[in-house]
Amino acid sequence: MYRQASCLNFYPLISFLQARNYAARKGTREKARKKKVKKVIEKIGFIPHEQRVKTGGRKKALELKDISPDDSKKFEPIDNVWISKFHKWKIYSFEEAVQNHRETHHPTIYNLPNEPIKAFLELDMQHVKKTKFVDAFTRIVCLPHVFDHGQTRKLLVFCKNPEMEDIARDAGADYVGGKQLIKQIQNGQFSMKEYDIILSEPTILPDLLLIRGLMRKKFPNAKSGTLGTDLKTMITKFLTGMRYTGKPHETLKSFGTVDVAFGTLDMDTKQLEENFATVIKDVNEAKPRRPEPFITRAVITCSPSPERFKVNFEQYLLKNKALEAEAEAEEEEEEEEEEEAKQDAVIASH
Amino acid sequence: MLKFPRLLVNHVKALATPTSSSNADYLSQQTRIVKLFSYLFLFNFLQNTFILKRRNPVPLHKKNSKPHRLRSRNFIYDLVEDTNVKKKEPLDLILTQYVAGLGNVGTRVSLHPALAYPKLLLPKLADYATPENIEKYKKLAIDQENDKPFSSSLVEKTMKYLSHKRMSIVMSKDVPWTLEKWHIKANFRKAGIYLPEDTITMPEKPISGPNLDLQGKEFYVTITINNREQVKVRCCLHHWTSESSSQLRVNEFWKLPTDPIFPEDKPILDSLSPFWVERKKTTHF
Repeated sequence: MYRQASCLNFYPLISFLQARNYAARKGTREKARKKKVKKVIEKIGFIPHEQRVKTGGRKKALELKDISPDDSKKFEPIDNVWISKFHKWKIYSFEEAVQNHRETHHPTIYNLPNEPIKAFLELDMQHVKKTKFVDAFTRIVCLPHVFDHGQTRKLLVFCKNPEMEDIARDAGADYVGGKQLIKQIQNGQFSMKEYDIILSEPTILPDLLLIRGLMRKKFPNAKSGTLGTDLKTMITKFLTGMRYTGKPHETLKSFGTVDVAFGTLDMDTKQLEENFATVIKDVNEAKPRRPEPFITRAVITCSPSPERFKVNFEQYLLKNKALEAEAEAEEEEEEEEEEEAKQDAVIASH
Repeated sequence: MLKFPRLLVNHVKALATPTSSSNADYLSQQTRIVKLFSYLFLFNFLQNTFILKRRNPVPLHKKNSKPHRLRSRNFIYDLVEDTNVKKKEPLDLILTQYVAGLGNVGTRVSLHPALAYPKLLLPKLADYATPENIEKYKKLAIDQENDKPFSSSLVEKTMKYLSHKRMSIVMSKDVPWTLEKWHIKANFRKAGIYLPEDTITMPEKPISGPNLDLQGKEFYVTITINNREQVKVRCCLHHWTSESSSQLRVNEFWKLPTDPIFPEDKPILDSLSPFWVERKKTTHF
């Protein structure tokens, strides 16, 4: 039979045979065809080979020294007149840096005696792991000497009892509410959109959980300092505090910067120094847990002057560490005392 | 060709000893397999040594018998070290006279040999810092203390830098002022030139403003470096105000030639080095 068929150039069985014993899904081939996008090669006019962009070979990776120049190989100045570009960057004392800015902003030169003075900090954004880097962060620092920095933010405060509400209102909160307000928000009668920061007391937190989905990231938590018992200091901190962001560099993620104003030129130098120290300490709190320093360079600037005065900032961090060590020691002592007291108590109960 | 063959052998020996010790552990790994290592030192007259190792070492021969004939495979070598590629140690030198950027007589410098030989030793600007030389040139330095050409090594460079500058002295357009030393100091610092006030000698006649007749006009101040060298620096007055609408804008002001504030200063200002030299654009073709 088969031979006959082959003689007749006719393969009855084979013609019906299929490699696949199920049907292709409808439109599969069509989809595959659509996926193939034709590459259209654009015709370009003649470019001399010198001007052609190299396609082969990788671009040179950006290094830290391209962004923040390294002066370690330059010499210390030896003469009384010296040119900064041939020498190491001068490190100023804080008073000197402020004094220099006051000189250039004197009425007879720039005539801007109350210009905001800024700290420009360079950060090492390396995380504990070598492949990870610190993300951009935004913090609010509470400066000891307040100045008009032009930042305004609206506060919404939740408290349980009316006494606390009065305290919050006196402290300067834009809107204060309790359980009633939460219900209104749930119904949609009150909108939280216009408020930048939401503060709350821990006692009202169970009720607040109802509208957690509406608040999303603004939901109060102790880590960001928006949840606490001392409403008055919290409100003053968020009203008068200075908001700043630490941004990583666009391409070099291990390099970050903070640009934050910490006072005006006409303020007292000591006040400015205290403000600067608090800024340095606050930025250093964003440091990941690794031994290398987080802030690598601190520079004091004041627009429109192009001058940037490098300042020794480590002294402020050292003080901080010393204080911390003291505080820890005290805490330990207290704990010991407490333990002793507990033991005494146990003995007493017997 | 070889005048001192003994010297050459000694040199090769000296070269051989440190390298063989440094490679000791690397070699000891192979001692079980092969007992004999034969090094070959190729010494050429460029003071460069290639330390080679036979890939297939020659086997040991019995006592009092003829050594094995070398086979062609015994002539295949591996490169162990090329001393020409090694990082060279800097040379310790002492200057015999003033050298710009380095210092006066008797200053000790340490430089890379590639720079030290052609730039200092060959023109006899420096000598090797041996104890005898140090003593000799220290004495010379004390003798010539008073007639040093420059007070320090960097003064010449600073003077050259300053003499080619035209400093912009930015002053207020609104508040009345008289030009003082600290104005000059602050404006120089803005351009990255650091100087104390006592080094500045102001022009004899006072300059005061705001006076738009003086806008963009030149004068000069004299700067005394290390109480010794004097440079005249060209300055150009500019009026500034924080209001952007009334700010004076001059296109490419750094190229424009201007008149002096005091006409009697004109010969001095003209004698200074040019403040702007047009550079030819380099083409890539």
